[in-house]
Amino acid sequence: MSTPLSPLIHLVDDDEAVRASLGLLIGTVGLRVQAWADPLAFIAQFDRDSIGAIVLDVRMPGISGLTVLEQLVAQRVEQPVIMLTGHGTVEMCRRAFKSGAAEFLEKPVNDEALLEALQNAVRQHVKTRERLGADRQAREHYAQLSEREREVLGLIVSGLTNKEIGRALAVSPRTVETHRANLFAKLEAPSLAQLIRSYAALVDEAAP
Amino acid sequence: MAALWPNGHNALMLHRVRRYRLWILVWCGFTALGALLIARQELAHLREAFETDARIVHRLLSQRVVQHDAVLATLALLQPPAEASSPEQRLPALYPQILSVQRRDRGVPWADSRLQAAEAQSRQWQRPALASADLPGGRYQLVLASDPASFALRMDLHAVVPWNEWPMTPDTSPVRVALEHEGQAFVVQPGRLGGHGWRFAFHKHLAADSQPFDVVALRDVAWHELPWIVMLAWALAVAAALAGLHALLRQRERRQRAEELLRLGQVARLNTLGELAAGMAHEINQPLTAVLANTQAAQRLLGDDPPELDTARLAMAQATEQARRAADVVGRLRRAVTRPDAAAPLHAVVLQDTVRNALHLLAPELERRGVQPELQGVNPPVQVLAEPVGLEQIIHNLLMNALQALEQVPASERRLVLAFSHEGTPGAQGARGVLTLTDTGPGIAPEALPRLFEPFFSTRADGLGLGLSLCETLANRMGASLSADHHSPRGARLRLALPLATA
Repeated sequence: MSTPLSPLIHLVDDDEAVRASLGLLIGTVGLRVQAWADPLAFIAQFDRDSIGAIVLDVRMPGISGLTVLEQLVAQRVEQPVIMLTGHGTVEMCRRAFKSGAAEFLEKPVNDEALLEALQNAVRQHVKTRERLGADRQAREHYAQLSEREREVLGLIVSGLTNKEIGRALAVSPRTVETHRANLFAKLEAPSLAQLIRSYAALVDEAAP
Repeated sequence: MAALWPNGHNALMLHRVRRYRLWILVWCGFTALGALLIARQELAHLREAFETDARIVHRLLSQRVVQHDAVLATLALLQPPAEASSPEQRLPALYPQILSVQRRDRGVPWADSRLQAAEAQSRQWQRPALASADLPGGRYQLVLASDPASFALRMDLHAVVPWNEWPMTPDTSPVRVALEHEGQAFVVQPGRLGGHGWRFAFHKHLAADSQPFDVVALRDVAWHELPWIVMLAWALAVAAALAGLHALLRQRERRQRAEELLRLGQVARLNTLGELAAGMAHEINQPLTAVLANTQAAQRLLGDDPPELDTARLAMAQATEQARRAADVVGRLRRAVTRPDAAAPLHAVVLQDTVRNALHLLAPELERRGVQPELQGVNPPVQVLAEPVGLEQIIHNLLMNALQALEQVPASERRLVLAFSHEGTPGAQGARGVLTLTDTGPGIAPEALPRLFEPFFSTRADGLGLGLSLCETLANRMGASLSADHHSPRGARLRLALPLATA
């Protein structure tokens, strides 16, 4: 997983002048731009791990921007997609949003509208990435727990005290205390509240 | 059509043959039916005439033969003396059919045994009896027994027939009439028998028991006697009627097809226009997008501290280049859609006729909106110099505009007035023929009035804004002028002034 310096915007448009000018404009707010003339090459090669967004022209030779959008969504691409069109119809707009477009803008596009849409998209992508990253980390930690520790975690999440847990599992409160300490260490949870927030979903998922 | 049928031409021919086959079938059906009825009627007519004639013949012959009984009865009653000057010998002079009168006085037998036998029968029956008959020769003998003398008549059938009262012309009549008795026949008139066709027959005893002859009348109607001329006339009449119907249907079909084509043409034009607009939008939007993005990037770069002059310069250079590209697109488009500015030839046109034509074309539209156009100044005709197709298009567009405006007011308030007038003295310099269209629609807003003829200016949400612009272009091309103003209390007035045609 690469950690780029600044977000990367993928710009897909068959028109060279449009690519150059939009690239220049997007560059003025410190975003990096990778321009693609061929939508198929873009789908095949672009860096899916990069943080950023995709700007897609609707009218391109060979393949429609809407089709590209549908393929990206089908491949569970995380980057938000901003559609650009020369003459958008209501129907086209509806289809784009239904397919999962983050924004639908008309050409010629105003700089503020485009840049704001891009910054929103990048922020959204960063959040998504963080949420997914946190999720992944939690899973890794959860996998390290022993069977008994998972049982104890489940009862902690349910709100039971150490005494009640000991009674439920037929062990002494002291043993429960040991499990509890191990478990907090393995899950790297600084507090009970944090522990419950990060792992309640996983416990529910594991429970039959 | 060719696209629907791979082998378009053959299919078309087949279609045509099929269609005509149906027509021919219908013609055959009607002709046959009519001919049958005509033939039946003719046969019924002939039969009736035949039967009437036969009955007359029967009556006439019966009346004649009954006389013979009466003659014999008179002789038996009077018993004239048997002497040389006996009055009965004068009978053949009175009755040509009586060849001779014979008598047998008491005690004297008949010379002929047949007369003897017949007399015995006559005595038994108390009426005259037939003694002998030679029908082919037209002879027979009749006997009446009486006392003291019995009488016999020798008859000539040829003279029995009352030719002066005969209902037919014996030499030419096709009816055969004969008297028949015991296999013998006396042919009264030969007629014409034979041939394939229909036979009428009449068969009846003479109304005299003493002369038991049958009247037999026969009539053969041959095929060639049917009223072929009438049937032929009927067939031709059916053909003419069907041809007329066919022509009528064809004409209606053609008109429907023409209307359909017109409609299709309009749709196709709209589609083409839509495609053109979409293509144009894309072609122009691309450079515009680049121009806008470049200039806005340059602005941002110049606003930076310190300003990034090199990149800003690059952006401006790109913007300039893209602005030129947009201009090129427009230029290319203009060259592609060259307007036929080369003026089409002008003709003398009667303004009223052109308007009537346009109204006729728009009749369904007028009817749908319940608009009854009022024509003012129909006479005298205003003859102007115009390009006929262009003029028709202008009037059509103006009418359509008026109709669309009228749609926005209640049906009861819809009025459309078309007025014709002359401006200036006809023949004088600058004299014009004027058509004024006044509608009672919502009218034209004062702020819209100056822009009315601008291309792409429209007050309708779905309007392209090309209609009036086109009208003005067309009008200017033929030296006419088009103007618009408000009509009080409400509505719009469009005024088209055209140069008059010099007589």
